[in-house]
Amino acid sequence: MAEVIQILILGMALGGVYALMGSGLSLVFGVMRIVNLAHPVLIMAGAYVAYWAARLYGLDPLLTLPIAAIILAATGVILYKLVFEREARSAKYSEMTVLLTFALAMVLEGALGTAFTNTQRVTSPDYATDAFFIGDIFIPKGQLYAGIVSLAIISALALFLKYSRFGYAIRATTQNREAAELLGVNVNFVGLVSFAIGIGLAGAAGSLVSFVFSFFPAKHWEWIAVLMSLVVLGGMGSIFGTVLASFILAVIAAFIGAYFGATWSTLTFFVALFVVLLVRPQGIFGEKPELA
Amino acid sequence: MASLDTNDVLVARKAYNAGLVQDVSKERAYWFPALVLALLLLLPVLQFTGNYNYLIHLVLFTASYVVMASGWNILGGFTGYISLGHNVFFAVGGYFAGMIFARYGISTIILAPFAGLVAGLLGYLVGQITLRVRGPSFIISSLALVMIFRILFENWDFVGGAAGVSLKANDLPVQWAKLPYYYAFVIMAAFSVWAAYRIKHSKFGLGLRAISKDEIKAESAGINTRFYKTLAFAISAFFVGMAGAVWGEYLTYIRPNIFLIILVSVNMVLICILGGKGTIAGPVIGAVLLVAFNEFFVATLGASEINILATGLIMMLCLMFFPLGIVGTLARLRKLPRILNWD
Repeated sequence: MAEVIQILILGMALGGVYALMGSGLSLVFGVMRIVNLAHPVLIMAGAYVAYWAARLYGLDPLLTLPIAAIILAATGVILYKLVFEREARSAKYSEMTVLLTFALAMVLEGALGTAFTNTQRVTSPDYATDAFFIGDIFIPKGQLYAGIVSLAIISALALFLKYSRFGYAIRATTQNREAAELLGVNVNFVGLVSFAIGIGLAGAAGSLVSFVFSFFPAKHWEWIAVLMSLVVLGGMGSIFGTVLASFILAVIAAFIGAYFGATWSTLTFFVALFVVLLVRPQGIFGEKPELA
Repeated sequence: MASLDTNDVLVARKAYNAGLVQDVSKERAYWFPALVLALLLLLPVLQFTGNYNYLIHLVLFTASYVVMASGWNILGGFTGYISLGHNVFFAVGGYFAGMIFARYGISTIILAPFAGLVAGLLGYLVGQITLRVRGPSFIISSLALVMIFRILFENWDFVGGAAGVSLKANDLPVQWAKLPYYYAFVIMAAFSVWAAYRIKHSKFGLGLRAISKDEIKAESAGINTRFYKTLAFAISAFFVGMAGAVWGEYLTYIRPNIFLIILVSVNMVLICILGGKGTIAGPVIGAVLLVAFNEFFVATLGASEINILATGLIMMLCLMFFPLGIVGTLARLRKLPRILNWD
């Protein structure tokens, strides 16, 4: 029994981190209809910000989290202005943007790989290797802190979307772009801000990831499928769905990893992605069959 | 005023259409692809005068990408289903032929069509599942497919796991060692271009193009879209698998991190976008350009990371400024040279 609880706890802690990694992707898809395959490599960029801040100035990744978020959000604004704004009128918009973000992911991977080489990196604050013990059960501090911070950020985002005027505009644009525009929402500005927030979340997730996983630029391909499975299972565009899916899949993966070996635990996400796309392409909370 | 008989109108219309077809075929420069093929078949004669192995390798490399990109084009270009996972079929073809070659010594050049059939069968099965979704969902499912196969191949001991299997190099003298593979790839490339042409001009190809324009309308016009697109998936997997089969023996090893890296499938997509998706000459022109870029970047910049960056950058610029590709853009401007109009 203790073993099962142990695996459950480890799965939940990772689920928290995945939730933050996936929620930015979900937000960008919801508002902009962009399946951002470059999201994982932007998380990687955030992780490198945290890594170099820790290595050069000895800063704690949790402290550099806002800095990484701001740097990445600024990157998001630049990318939006340079690349995505001009694609808005393209006829095959969703397919074109998938290919574009895919190419962008390659560009960023190449840039990160050239600048920082493909060596495995990880930040190691004291808590990353420490753990709490409750009887026989241990809770790794690093993953616990990461999970808590991630849920705090997602809650803040949810409150912002639910109660602020601008959050209202974002949700309106997600539900129906044309109708929102008719009611006087500046959908282009909403798009820009949500894109920046989404990429900013990638930066925040990056600094958490920097002490939870070891990372190197080419690893983002693996994350693409992992994050896509979260977002697709949760229902594209639904942040709550993404969070729920993160916990479900992380726990399943933890159990598969514990009983069948670590290799097969990664496979969980890929197979889940496949199955969800086929059985219920709109995911748990999605209502937009247009994507199918 | 003479009334028009419906029959007269139909006859006139038929004559007009026949005239159009004749005009097109009069304009068509059949001699050009034939000349290119003849020159390529004669190219190895150079080996008598010195060592041109590098040139042979470049042409072989380009031809292998022509096979793969022409295959990809049938699904991605004609049918409009963009797959980023076609290297799965490259790997399946490579492993099927490579394993038989390693065990029984049958040349992969003979095995290539069978490897293609195996890949095509797998493509048919995968297509049955993934072609239910379209647009971004299809692209994502194709990426997941690569991830799944990578893990499977890396953990399958029978095929050597992550280390792969070494294959015996042939015992021809260095000067001639590349030639069997060279001819195999050049002939496969010619065959794939010819097959793509035949498919595009068949009723089947018309159905595929209808699907890419508007699948619902195509369905209501009586096209069995489900069967058409699955068959297109299988045919495109066939060509990619065939290329994989010979590629393994040429490299003398089969290994997941050669066949199942994302760069292989991206190159197929990039070649088609660069040359022109859904055109016949597009994959050929794209492959020549891509190999040229590749050699240039590797020669001047070396590192593979820069290569990834440059590939991605070219793809982005293409998608943003020339989404129709070279052939498509020139054709739209009506400036496509006659020798490149293979459609």
